[in-house]
Amino acid sequence: MTGEPPLTLRVNGEERTVPEVAADTRLLDLLRWRLGLKGTKEGCRTGGCGACTVLVNGESVLSCLTLAREMERQEVTTVEGLTGTPEAEAVQQAFAEAGAVQCGYCTPGFVLALVSLRREHGASPPDLPTLANELGGNLCRCTGYYAIVRALADLLGVPVTSELPKSTFTVEPGGSP
Amino acid sequence: MAYALHFPRSFEEAFRLLDPQGQPPALPLAGGTDLLPAVEAGRWHPGALVSLSRLPLATFERAGDEVLIGGTLPLRRLEREPAIGELLPGFAEALREVGSVPLRHRATLGGNVVRASPASDLLPPLLALEASLDLRSQHGRRRVALVDFLRGSWETTLQRGELVERIRVPVPRPGSYRWQRVRPANDISQVGVATALVTSDARSPWRIAAGGMESHPQRLSGAEAALPQEDPSPGEIEEAVHRAREGTRLKDDRRAGEEYRRHLLGVLLRRSITSTVERARSMKGRRT
Amino acid sequence: MIRTDALPKARGALPYAPDVELPGMLWAVYVTSPHPHAEIRRVDTAGAREVPGVVDVLTAEDLPGLLPREPEPTRPLLATKVTRFVGEPVALVAAENLPAARAGASRVQVDYRVLPAFTDLEREFPHWPTPEEMRSHPQVNAHVHARRGDFDQVAHRADHVHRERYQTAMVAQVPLEPHACLARVQGDDWYVLTTTQAPFGIREDLADKLGLPQEKVRVEGTWVGGGFGGKNEALLEPHALLLSRRTGRPVRIALTFQEEFLFSRTTQPAIFWMESCLKDGKLVARRTRLLLDTGASLPGRDFALGYSLGFTLGPYRLESFELEGYALRTHRPPFGPHRAPLAPQCTFASEGHLDSLARDRGEDPVEFRLRHVWRPGDRTALGQPVGPFAAEAGLRRARETARAWKASAPPGHGVGVALGFWSTGTGAGGEARLTLSPEGLVLLQGEREIGNGSIWQGLPEVVAATLGVPPAIVSVRYGDTAHAPFDSGVWGSRTTAALGYAVAKAAEGLRRELERRAPGSGPVSFTARDGALTVAREGRSYPATDLMTPEERAEGGLRVEAKHYGKNEGTLEEGLVLEGEMFPYSDLIASVHVAEVSVDRETGAVKVLRYAAFQDAGKVVNPPGYRGQVEGAIVMGLGTALTEEGLLDPEGHLANPGLLDYRIPTLSDPPPELTIVALEGSLGSGVWGSKGVGEPPIIPVPAAVANAVADATGARVTVLPLTPERVSQALRGGARDPGGGRR
Repeated sequence: MTGEPPLTLRVNGEERTVPEVAADTRLLDLLRWRLGLKGTKEGCRTGGCGACTVLVNGESVLSCLTLAREMERQEVTTVEGLTGTPEAEAVQQAFAEAGAVQCGYCTPGFVLALVSLRREHGASPPDLPTLANELGGNLCRCTGYYAIVRALADLLGVPVTSELPKSTFTVEPGGSP
Repeated sequence: MAYALHFPRSFEEAFRLLDPQGQPPALPLAGGTDLLPAVEAGRWHPGALVSLSRLPLATFERAGDEVLIGGTLPLRRLEREPAIGELLPGFAEALREVGSVPLRHRATLGGNVVRASPASDLLPPLLALEASLDLRSQHGRRRVALVDFLRGSWETTLQRGELVERIRVPVPRPGSYRWQRVRPANDISQVGVATALVTSDARSPWRIAAGGMESHPQRLSGAEAALPQEDPSPGEIEEAVHRAREGTRLKDDRRAGEEYRRHLLGVLLRRSITSTVERARSMKGRRT
Repeated sequence: MIRTDALPKARGALPYAPDVELPGMLWAVYVTSPHPHAEIRRVDTAGAREVPGVVDVLTAEDLPGLLPREPEPTRPLLATKVTRFVGEPVALVAAENLPAARAGASRVQVDYRVLPAFTDLEREFPHWPTPEEMRSHPQVNAHVHARRGDFDQVAHRADHVHRERYQTAMVAQVPLEPHACLARVQGDDWYVLTTTQAPFGIREDLADKLGLPQEKVRVEGTWVGGGFGGKNEALLEPHALLLSRRTGRPVRIALTFQEEFLFSRTTQPAIFWMESCLKDGKLVARRTRLLLDTGASLPGRDFALGYSLGFTLGPYRLESFELEGYALRTHRPPFGPHRAPLAPQCTFASEGHLDSLARDRGEDPVEFRLRHVWRPGDRTALGQPVGPFAAEAGLRRARETARAWKASAPPGHGVGVALGFWSTGTGAGGEARLTLSPEGLVLLQGEREIGNGSIWQGLPEVVAATLGVPPAIVSVRYGDTAHAPFDSGVWGSRTTAALGYAVAKAAEGLRRELERRAPGSGPVSFTARDGALTVAREGRSYPATDLMTPEERAEGGLRVEAKHYGKNEGTLEEGLVLEGEMFPYSDLIASVHVAEVSVDRETGAVKVLRYAAFQDAGKVVNPPGYRGQVEGAIVMGLGTALTEEGLLDPEGHLANPGLLDYRIPTLSDPPPELTIVALEGSLGSGVWGSKGVGEPPIIPVPAAVANAVADATGARVTVLPLTPERVSQALRGGARDPGGGRR
């Protein structure tokens, strides 16, 4: 590992210099093991689940498919850096209230992907189906997505539209003959 | 697995680093979304990766009757260019089907073209649009039609040391892309069919290409020839479907059997033609 | 009420096992077999030891006394003379960092001699085999044969015998958090922190595998990123502990997703031959013959076959039946528990077959079910009494929904119904420790929250409801297996129901104790004030902690402990003719589902548009948790029904060990309209009459979807999953069914 150059980048608003970053180090591993930012989760490591989503210069990227040294002098934001900002709190609160957090392993990735989408669309917020479609790379195995769609609808202040997953739940007597 | 990583700031430096004689080879790195897992899985053993991120290749330009797409322009930025949706609707719908938004923030069109995946969702529309490539190396530039660039599965005529500077796509072209997957979102297409209409051609105004072939995505010229007019009759469409199915060698793998792919090719071709005809009408309506 | 773990998780602030590190920690990676079946001639680790940073290499030779003694070891810690599946661990390399460990692993040279592999059940058994073939078949792990009456005789006299073959695919649990653990052995303290559904189960498993007394093994959980049955067994922990013992350093192992698919235990393919006899319009007999691929090894005795076979009869009255099955040891990844193990597959065969029989005879399939379904007082096929069971009530609701949907659906859509039943693990025991202290009411738990809410939300709800106070004043504190009270684990839909029972008893004990201690004689009531439990009696109210003795104050609080060990009711019928092992059911739970689908007749693509689930709940303890389980289970079931399939290439390698080609549902896939109705009243043996909910709602999903496709198109697809290709081929008829193992 010696002989590798240091890497200077901005992480969560602070300039950080990390010594000896090997060429093949992924951004995911840099964040988790060199900078101790474990809120970025390691899932499939092949770009298929979205659990490792972070922001690079404000845009969502998959940190498992990004080389750390590509981040030289770039701005990287993880869930730790976003937490506390109104845009993140709104998303986190909506997820919590809707019951969209079960095991929670996918949740930080969803939060980052969603914050990025809302920034990207800016003044012309997308409708719910577009937003849901553009979150399609973030997988969740616990919730069946119903609660996640409820969270999205709450965020946009709209009802869940007909083509998206929507559930009703009632507890009724009548289970005994 | 250990490789060097370079960030050239000029083409000259990049070409020097991409020395065609170097062993093990240096590979250009664009978005890396495909290359990095392939390297980690041991399918490639590069001596160095040469990042193109500091070169002025992430460009987009409308020049007359073409759009010029820089080789390292991320797919997501391309997809959000209003000109793409307006002028190339078939390409636009294929772009939205590649991976996920975070992936498209890094994946590039140049990378997708160079990779020449048999299952690419972007190559069929680009073939139907008669796209061409501006390639650049230390020896200069050359332009090559995409149809001549693709040579086989994962195989192109790109030389070592050569980069995709731009992808040129003629506009406007009504078109559409129809695909089939096991899982509708975030999956790899079993068959994808793109059709597009050109304005002047004595033989046929139709350009048709498909992925899911035994080899790389290809033009279906037999099917094109069966469609002499912009608004084909049901009989002509059936003839095109017949020729597409008869004249094509299709893949047989774990994603789909050859027989099913042949069936899909016809179904999707019919659907794509119908959709392109409708789009041509509405694009004409918009212009008048 | 918002779960209190939700926001911290969304902020990335809670640690999971892959996130934990210790100073001086080593990283270990596996060297795994690239062959489904091969003789290991030599393992050369010299090259690995030369890699800078490599500290230790572990091979089977380093495990004297830890290797199973059977002539052919079924579950060695590391492969010894043979490897029996692709991905089987052969060695481990521990190093100062991950790149060095990987480099070391790539330098371990294993000399294999490839042996013939058995990986394709369908190719090996195109037909149900004869007893002679099976008597000498080297791969038979277990055989079960049970019958009442003589099926062949009944079939001979029947008006109609309906025969079909069904086939199901390899499917995996795929929690998003891969397995990971961190071990540290210091003297006699064998400590491991791991992602697990069952710390005490893992402790027992580890003690057994490592030849240690249980007291020396200490297992601690963390927040768990989903389990679904895949985190019940010690997998990486023995290796991490052994490496830590050898090196004197903490050792971390985390699986890649690829390894996750290859060597965590999961569901393998099965083939069902189904036969049903009708006499005077009545279902009188059924025979199921099952070939079950149990992969390269079995967890313990062959529970899978003996437990699942009974589900293929459905919850229906039968005069006679015959069940026969073989568990086959193959060179595929090992079989293991997976959310209602095999029940969705058995029910796909059983309910598809019943549906097709009814449709063939021109009878409404729901009416047909209603004529035959078990009612309380009936006996199951295996002779157990049917207790409270809401199958009939669920079917009536499903009939109503199916009729309404059929009337409102556009032409070409299909509506299908399926009834699944299950028997949960509410018999498995648990113990609770509830402490009243100045910090509030605290439950000490060895098990961690795995996502379903049972530990973090369900248990506090039970305490709160027992005392009549808001759940916010009850909290859960975690401990390792040396400190926390025993529990069986978060599996088998049992946690809230069964462990909740123990917790309710502890809360009840606390209530009685406080009533005894509170001065006065009138009725006692409890409230929460400033986050503390408050006692009120005869017009006076004060903090409950005022009632603690000085000793309790000094020792951290008033502690109440309770146990609940349920029993598995009933035994198998005495007159049953049985070879091999079968298992009685405990609480019976019904799930009746209705699916409405559209089918693209050209491409074969199926879309599920409306879905309804009528769940036999007994009693719902934690409504948001219950809802989350049903929503999640149904969508996971849709993956099994439509897209998920582990595919082997001709050489026996898993062709799709990743999330691009192993297709779990995405946000665009769930049915746009889902109606969940929890039917209360048929009380189970869990706390307050609850029955458990984690597994039941996944069971009928593949069958309901396939039945709806049959209703829409007239074509019955008998192979899971119902990919567009399979549906298209069924619609076009004639074309060869691609079967399992392909597409």
